[in-house]
Amino acid sequence: MQRLSRFLVVLSLMATLMLAACTAPAAAPAGESAAEEAPAGGATMSFWTRDSNQEQVRKLVDAWNESHENKIEVTVIPASEYMTKVGASVGAGAPPDLMAVDLIYVPQFAAAGQLTDITDLAKGLPYFEQLSPSHVRLATYDGKIFGLPFNAEGSYLIYNKGLFEQAGLDPENPPKTWAEIADAAAKIRALGEDIYGFYFSGSCAGCNAFTFLPLIWANGGDVLSEDGATATLTDPSVAGALELYRQMWADDLIPAGAQADTGTDFANAFTTGKIGMAGTGAFAINNIKTNFPEIDFGATFLPGAEGGESSFAGGDSIAIPAGSKYPNEAFEFIQWATSDEVQLEYYAKLNNLPVRTDLAENEFFAADPRLTTAAQAMAMGKTPYTVVYNQLFNDANGPWLKMIQTAVFDGDVEGAVNTAQEEFTKILTEQ
Amino acid sequence: MATASTTVTKPSRRGATLSQRRMIAGFLFVLPAVIFTLAMFIFPLIMTGWMSLHDWPLLGQATFLGLQNYVDLVNDGQFWSSLWFTTQYTLLVTPPIFILAFMLALLVNTALRGIGVFRTIYFIPVVIGLGTSSLLWVWLLNDRVGIINGLLLDSGLIERPIIWFVDKNLAMFAIIVSIVWKTVGFSMILLLAGMQAIPDELYQAAEVDGASYWQRLTHIMMPLLRSTFALALVLSVIGSYLAFDQFYIMTRGGPQNQTITTVYWIFNNSFTYYKLGYGAALSIVLLVILGILSIIQLRVLRDDTTY
Repeated sequence: MQRLSRFLVVLSLMATLMLAACTAPAAAPAGESAAEEAPAGGATMSFWTRDSNQEQVRKLVDAWNESHENKIEVTVIPASEYMTKVGASVGAGAPPDLMAVDLIYVPQFAAAGQLTDITDLAKGLPYFEQLSPSHVRLATYDGKIFGLPFNAEGSYLIYNKGLFEQAGLDPENPPKTWAEIADAAAKIRALGEDIYGFYFSGSCAGCNAFTFLPLIWANGGDVLSEDGATATLTDPSVAGALELYRQMWADDLIPAGAQADTGTDFANAFTTGKIGMAGTGAFAINNIKTNFPEIDFGATFLPGAEGGESSFAGGDSIAIPAGSKYPNEAFEFIQWATSDEVQLEYYAKLNNLPVRTDLAENEFFAADPRLTTAAQAMAMGKTPYTVVYNQLFNDANGPWLKMIQTAVFDGDVEGAVNTAQEEFTKILTEQ
Repeated sequence: MATASTTVTKPSRRGATLSQRRMIAGFLFVLPAVIFTLAMFIFPLIMTGWMSLHDWPLLGQATFLGLQNYVDLVNDGQFWSSLWFTTQYTLLVTPPIFILAFMLALLVNTALRGIGVFRTIYFIPVVIGLGTSSLLWVWLLNDRVGIINGLLLDSGLIERPIIWFVDKNLAMFAIIVSIVWKTVGFSMILLLAGMQAIPDELYQAAEVDGASYWQRLTHIMMPLLRSTFALALVLSVIGSYLAFDQFYIMTRGGPQNQTITTVYWIFNNSFTYYKLGYGAALSIVLLVILGILSIIQLRVLRDDTTY
């Protein structure tokens, strides 16, 4: 008995210690300011970013470290794990001093009180009004600003100039309405058995938020109210855009494989040279120029039914987590990164979109008008404002993708829209 | 126990009796295993149970809910249909794995020269990560560049490429093929180990008595493999009930959300909707279900045979 009881004492002690070790940090109040004075010789700030744009971030941070006393240490995290990693660190009371985060998640962070209010500092920037409006809108919560644009991406319509020419279409005069898209797609499809007019990833929720939503916006419609609280999918623009896709699918202008594409072919399909048009982002320009130089392609805005243009403004915002040790030094970096010189030298010159609308046209993009198109698209672009972005738009099993699939592949546009409206409303009211 | 220490009259140098020292030594020997189990299993389990009683968002404060998550779970249609789908998948994928694994084990259990090479070949897919192998199959089955469609087209069996993941049955078939390929080697090795543990004398005696190959197989080997079968079956069924990677990568739960497994649903709740508390409750329920299933299997296949 003695042995057993002593064993149990040791065991429970160990269990208690481990429990304490694992739960203690979580007990630290999140959101409490932990600001410290920068030590002499400079502070070292931790900076987290996702892997999607790590190359750009590393170059940028190297340049900063070379010229500043306060240093930055970058941690790159896979995009798919980013939110859970950040969530865990915030919960444990040990967030990074600075972080870049997909702009769609900023409302969620702000609503949970996890970010430092930088309203005054941000508004003090001479170029505040020129910062990507969509980034700033999503970083604004309760009238306060919690982040600024750090990395920009804009969706647009990419088209194969070679196929346009072969089909007797003017490669310098790309489609400007839905009818023109469908018409061009049909003419290109007629070029051959394995040549298709249009492509979209039919089983990829996020891809279609990026490339399909702009068609609705360009037509003057939207899927959410301005405050993000109400679903507006019964807006006729939604059914109209779905009808455009449905008709192209029914007319066999889209490859059959598109239906099952979960996004693995999102960037690849167009590079086969056998696709006339597709929605895509600025990332495609460098990829095709470098890896598929034989493809002559153009970039144009995603249009509405009778004209108009829009884009999904994507990318990352940069924010200072509530527990940052060096909030002031962190803002210095933000200010530096958004300055004219850095935006041109480390963004535009490296073929990355500037995050400022006044720099969309610049000396480096002059050589490639497609980059200017992407930058202008981003500047006029929109982004849904909601704290439940994932559930509404990114969920592969959620209402957004289901609506597109039901409408396009099953042909039931009206039913798809009504179901999506109900499901969006349910998710929004649960909050 | 208490008497043991009193009977030893001569205390050791450090004042501890022999049995006490033995006890401490024994404890130190099991300590690594105890720590590992505590850190990797017991503590996470307690934490999961605790989380399941809360509304636990990714960001922000958790609020205590009591058993509300479990009540929601009972009314969660998607959970039950996922569970049913996972059961169907398990029922479909288990027989091919076992039949093939048994046949392969018989094959590589021979003393032929170079048979070790085949053993290795059959086992190789097991060491590939499931995510990697799923991605491999996505491209093998791709309609545009996939080898499988290419072979079928070239051999004239089909006229248009098959798009595997737009139809539930085709998708299920493709996934089962990929999983059998991936896991059959593991069951084969288990069965092989069981086969090699059967003493040769039994076969020799039976042969002397005039038993045919088939009789030796069904009357000696199969009954004696019972416990190995049980182990392989329990592991395989648990593996199938925990299926996630292959569906996440190959079908994304599609077409029309018809291939969402239980773990996929847990993943969605935890890491897409960030309802960590609800995800924890789903996990606890799945754990209980798997526990019950394993007990049933082990009972049914209980081994009373000795040799």
